[in-house]
Amino acid sequence: MVKSISMALAVLFGLSALPAHAQDMPTLTIYTYDGFAAEWGPGPQLSAAFEPICGCRLNWVAADSSIGTLRRVQLEGATTEADLIVGLDTAIAGEARATGLFADHGLTLDDLALPEAWTDQQFVPFDYSHFAFMYDTDRTTTPPKSFEELIALPDDFKIVIQDPRSATPGLGLVLWIKAAYGDRASEIWAGLKPHILTVTREWSESYSLFLDGEADMALSYTTSPAYHIKEEGDETIKAALFEEGHYPQIEVAGVLKSSDQQELAKQFLAWFASSEGQKIIPTTNWMFPVVDLGADLDPAFAGLPQPEKTLHLSDEDILANSSAWIDEMLAAVQ
Amino acid sequence: MLTLPHRPVRIALSITLALAIAGLIIAVLWAILAAATDTATPSRVDIPHLLRMTSIQAGLTTIFSLAVGMALAWSLNRLRFPGRDLVVGLFSAAIVTPGMVVAFGLLSIWGRNGWINEASKAIFGFPLGNPAFGLSGILLAHVILDGAFAARILLARLDAIPASRLKVGQSLALSTSQRFRLIDWPAMRTSLPGLGAIIFLLAFTSFPIVLLLGGGPANQTLEVAIYSAVRLDFDLVGAVRLALTQIGVCAIVILLASASTNVIAPPHGGSTTPLWRDGAFARALQWLVLALSTIGFVLPLLSVLIDGVTGGFGRVLVQPTFWWAFGTSMIIGSASAALTLVLALALCLGRSASSGKALRTLLGTPSFAYLAVPAVVLSLGFFLLIRNLGLAPERAAPFVVIVANSLLALPFAVATLGPPLDAIAHARGKLIRSLGLSGWQQFWSVEYPLLGKDIGLMLALAFCFSLGDLGVIALFGTQDFQTLPLMMFRALGAYRGNDAAAIAAILLIGTILAFVGLPRLFERIAHARG
Amino acid sequence: MLEAEHLVFAHPGQSTSYDFSFTAEPGEVTAISGPSGSGKSTLFDLVAGFLKPESGTLALDGQNLIHMLPETRPVSLLLQADNLFDHLSAEDNVALGLSRGTHKAEARRRIADVLRQMGLSALAHQRAATLSGGQKQRVALARTLLRDRPVLLLDEPFSALDDDTRRSIRTLVRDLTVRQCWHTILVSHHADDIAALASRRYQLKDGVLASA
Repeated sequence: MVKSISMALAVLFGLSALPAHAQDMPTLTIYTYDGFAAEWGPGPQLSAAFEPICGCRLNWVAADSSIGTLRRVQLEGATTEADLIVGLDTAIAGEARATGLFADHGLTLDDLALPEAWTDQQFVPFDYSHFAFMYDTDRTTTPPKSFEELIALPDDFKIVIQDPRSATPGLGLVLWIKAAYGDRASEIWAGLKPHILTVTREWSESYSLFLDGEADMALSYTTSPAYHIKEEGDETIKAALFEEGHYPQIEVAGVLKSSDQQELAKQFLAWFASSEGQKIIPTTNWMFPVVDLGADLDPAFAGLPQPEKTLHLSDEDILANSSAWIDEMLAAVQ
Repeated sequence: MLTLPHRPVRIALSITLALAIAGLIIAVLWAILAAATDTATPSRVDIPHLLRMTSIQAGLTTIFSLAVGMALAWSLNRLRFPGRDLVVGLFSAAIVTPGMVVAFGLLSIWGRNGWINEASKAIFGFPLGNPAFGLSGILLAHVILDGAFAARILLARLDAIPASRLKVGQSLALSTSQRFRLIDWPAMRTSLPGLGAIIFLLAFTSFPIVLLLGGGPANQTLEVAIYSAVRLDFDLVGAVRLALTQIGVCAIVILLASASTNVIAPPHGGSTTPLWRDGAFARALQWLVLALSTIGFVLPLLSVLIDGVTGGFGRVLVQPTFWWAFGTSMIIGSASAALTLVLALALCLGRSASSGKALRTLLGTPSFAYLAVPAVVLSLGFFLLIRNLGLAPERAAPFVVIVANSLLALPFAVATLGPPLDAIAHARGKLIRSLGLSGWQQFWSVEYPLLGKDIGLMLALAFCFSLGDLGVIALFGTQDFQTLPLMMFRALGAYRGNDAAAIAAILLIGTILAFVGLPRLFERIAHARG
Repeated sequence: MLEAEHLVFAHPGQSTSYDFSFTAEPGEVTAISGPSGSGKSTLFDLVAGFLKPESGTLALDGQNLIHMLPETRPVSLLLQADNLFDHLSAEDNVALGLSRGTHKAEARRRIADVLRQMGLSALAHQRAATLSGGQKQRVALARTLLRDRPVLLLDEPFSALDDDTRRSIRTLVRDLTVRQCWHTILVSHHADDIAALASRRYQLKDGVLASA
């Protein structure tokens, strides 16, 4: 009884949140998305590795989504407790920059191994992967090699995608098709329409539908197969590579101007983008690291096929047009 | 007539509570408007189209759910078989299980690779098709969730028919259809408007199921548009405008329902069902309804259990995080259930003590607040209010979740406690008044003992709603504050489908236990002191 | 003395209008009879306070009761049935007749006392639902005794009882009326009940009372 009362107090008042001795250390408060801070996500391991180096404490605050972190600091403005945001991506970096809330990182990021050159002054990349459709080699022997091949398949070949208004890969697909096909994008969407089983709110729902066999392909990442290889020894889940090239998701972190721990925050970013921080990423966030880890990269990743061509859209272009592109997509598949 | 006991305190309390809930909604919307900046791109939403699509979907869901619920309640009321309580518990469990769990359970039965198509392939050599997506999928999932819930509530009404009425009916040798028309229908009728309104609103605002099974942006709800306005476009003024549209539509439904639930339910209590069997044809029909419902409702949930047990059950149970999340869920669930009981009693006792139609209608509305206000708007507003008060959102999170979960369960709690309280006030009003019982005596000696089972059912409902809630916790959970559904959701987002399946199964087991156990427990407690 | 003077009442939407005048003396049973539909329950509800008359007075020893709510009127009721809460024990049902704030020990003593007077001691802990019709009316009378209001309003209280029980309950009502000096009003259409009890009789016809 005493135990359950003390547990109740701990849940309601968060008494267990802080170990007593940690209270006089400097604390970096980091807003991130849900999965990043989860027990099996990168957050706890990053804390364990970085805290002894800096003599500080990392306080991960998880919002429900990546864009949720940005909206939260926008709402909080200068009064935000966040020192950093970890987990925005290139699709919303332009909008985030335009808020004027982010400070320059001031780092020289020379040894990055990204599919595109990195010149961003505010945001530091920490992982990436290309958007791609997953298929199961047991069910699909010859996957389509382009959007046009996919469209040409019989209508009962089903794909699941995500709503661009709520899920990062959903927005990624809109950008991907736009980058690959420009003005022909709505034609591609109309062609995809009969193949779309459903448009889910979250990535996880689409992916589960695909694993359950309800759909033949699901929109995900080229790195997704690594999870099944590493954790389940399953080599049948593969990414279908398209000849048009693939659009990447590059996840980034940035320091808020309002933070009173600028130096510490930048120290964290520099460490995070180094191979010390990066070696934690692949098997916790299931994305590629942004530096060449060499032999430290898990073989499940090293063997993954990579797209030959990476597509690109500028921040300005995305900021100015993404709403219109989403409308175009919604109108075409409606 | 002055036969209703005179209870100014009860009425004042419930009016205060109603005003407080209204004030909370206004404060939430105001906080959002105050935080809005004009830099946002206004969101572009075809509101009439959305309203039309959503209304069709919700209307069909309501009709089907009520029809299925009545048929099922009718069958269950008549049939006695081993495991009946468990079946009833499973039916009740559907509505409080996270929508996603039910949707995936549905798919493993009805989907392309589901049991039914697999069976058909094995027997006939071809699949039967895939009804699980599109409007048919949405309706199927909603009828599973809501039809089973309707059945549970209506079954309680049928089980409460006084034995004397059944004896009279039996001695008059009423036919099956006469029996339904003269005895069953009047008992169920009073619950239908409230139930219909709840189901309509649930379907109208249903978010995850519509998105998962909808098949595309054609089947969307206002909630999706609001989510998009808040998150993607950051158009807070637009979000408030959309929220007001939704509140407006819901308010019409709520007022209609609240105004039409004035018919008084039959006296509650004594129901030792005499053995009055319907004719052979009717009994065959009852068994058929039960068999079909079991395939439709119970199998999807059963498949969730099987997936969970065969998946990562052991792996999940050894994680300390699981036990911490489990404890958190229990504590949040118990606190929400207790708060729901207090709120529901305040509203229902006040409503049953008031005779004016306008006042009764007014007091019938606040319980629906959570259904009418989009969750994403509510949570954003709570977040802003808490910050405006100078509190840290993480600190306030557990309390916000408890309050929000209570509001979520409130319409169901009121639908459970309202009719029997009204019945007591009307059937026993004269005696209570002439004895000059105090409000406290009336509650403690009369209402509480008679309501024992209903209070148990209500607590089970509220507890399970909180146990299965993903909408609120997803927006307020933190690393240190995570409930089982949030843990499940996070596992699913990290490729850990097996863990998610195991947690889903555990949630379902907890729900069923609560539904079978709590009403019995409370009936016993209430009677022990009678 | 309880005195009703021109209690005028009409149910909304009905053409019949009632105009009741009668007097009832303490220690006496006053009977009001009439065929069904003649307005007996309207009179009952007016005296009990469930209905408000359009005009007229109802006075107990000169004090007007018309504006008093049912729970505060000096009136106790005994109905044909449903006088008890089935889920409570006989004792708990009787206890509801105590005024609020009675001390626990005092309450226990008085409850035991009336139960003994009514010959109910053995049934004290039995649930009301399991009692016979006569036992139920006895429990309800015990409660009335405990409440001890000057006016006792009876609505066909004997009609659900067998002949022997009926006689014994009738005797009980008459004895209590005399002993407690109650103004007992019996609304009934049973001639033998009236003959056995009433010292004063009224006949209800066409909405008015006539001495019989």
